[in-house]
Amino acid sequence: MYRVGQLVQKYEKSLSLRPVAGAFDLSKPIKIAEASRPGLALSGYLKGYVPKRILVFGKEEIDYLADLNSHERHERLEPLMTPFTPCAFIPNRPKPLPEMVALAKAKEIPLFRTDLSTMALLNKLTLILNDEFAPSSFCHGTLVEVFGLGVLIQGSSSVGKSETALGLLERRHRLVADDIIKVKRREGFLEGEGTELTRHIMEIRGIGIINIAHLYGAVCVRESKNIDIVVALEEWDDDHSYERVGLEEKSCDILNTHIPFYVLPVKPGRDVVLLLETIVLNHRLKQMGLNSAKEFTSKLRQAISEKKRT
Amino acid sequence: MALEVKIRVKNSLGIHTRPATAIVKLLHQTKSDVTFTHKRDTINAKSILSILMLALHKNDQIIIKVAGIDAPEVMEKLQKGFESCFGEN
Repeated sequence: MYRVGQLVQKYEKSLSLRPVAGAFDLSKPIKIAEASRPGLALSGYLKGYVPKRILVFGKEEIDYLADLNSHERHERLEPLMTPFTPCAFIPNRPKPLPEMVALAKAKEIPLFRTDLSTMALLNKLTLILNDEFAPSSFCHGTLVEVFGLGVLIQGSSSVGKSETALGLLERRHRLVADDIIKVKRREGFLEGEGTELTRHIMEIRGIGIINIAHLYGAVCVRESKNIDIVVALEEWDDDHSYERVGLEEKSCDILNTHIPFYVLPVKPGRDVVLLLETIVLNHRLKQMGLNSAKEFTSKLRQAISEKKRT
Repeated sequence: MALEVKIRVKNSLGIHTRPATAIVKLLHQTKSDVTFTHKRDTINAKSILSILMLALHKNDQIIIKVAGIDAPEVMEKLQKGFESCFGEN
């Protein structure tokens, strides 16, 4: 449950929030990730009004209310400021109306003033709420940035995910998180980051817990990264027929988003770090419109057809 | 076979590094997939960092899910471990 206190604590400075009066109950939940200006609802038209939204009283709303007498103001504000209202904001620094403050106190609605303009506040609030309410989940694996692409290395326990990541760090790639990745769905892409407690920490069997930022320096870590491809490491199986040409493009589904997916079989003698770098470079090449496998196949077809003619 | 059990952490210091290591060691040789769910977070119980990330303290409730051929014995071992606070207290 996302609460007003979390929003205030994290964004107090960027939204330049100041509580209007006294201490409010900041444990109120925000159930809908939306902020709205009451507008027409202030005139008494309440059809379709959603009380669970965050309220923003813009300049027009305040001017409109200021033209009414005290009794009318109370009457118009009362149905809008309900106990379900998570919090309310007054942008542009106007003096809050006494009826507004009294209702906020009576219904325990945290009321804040801000120096931002109404539109700036609404824009920021929309982005913040979208970010905080974005679908997210935890996934097991190691997230590294290789040649600028976010690579999520997955695979069963002790297949060598962390060791591969260490090898990549040695070659100046960057670690985002190991073992537990918090994945958030943004507009059309996924973003992965470590958790507060385990950020830039790795567990290597035989060594224990190590801090990568301390060991390799700030240049080898980053806070978050888009997940561009998923590479699954798996033990080499002689009975399994692995990809030989590279024409087939696989994808996996994380939070209903399709991400290009590669399987990398591991066995002694195979340089997993080098192979992973090659997968990434080849993927980048494909993004640039150059598909080595397809290019080769079309050349081959041409060669065959020319041979037939002669 | 898939099993699910709700348990409460009894360790007075919570699940810190030592009991987390004990859990991972206990699950090391098992074939089943084991997850712990605490509040909205579900993690792989074979990873020590994942367990530590939950920062479980005394009386926190978790749901243990075990799925695989050795699920009953893994679940029994885990329940016994949590019951005995993994040798602590």
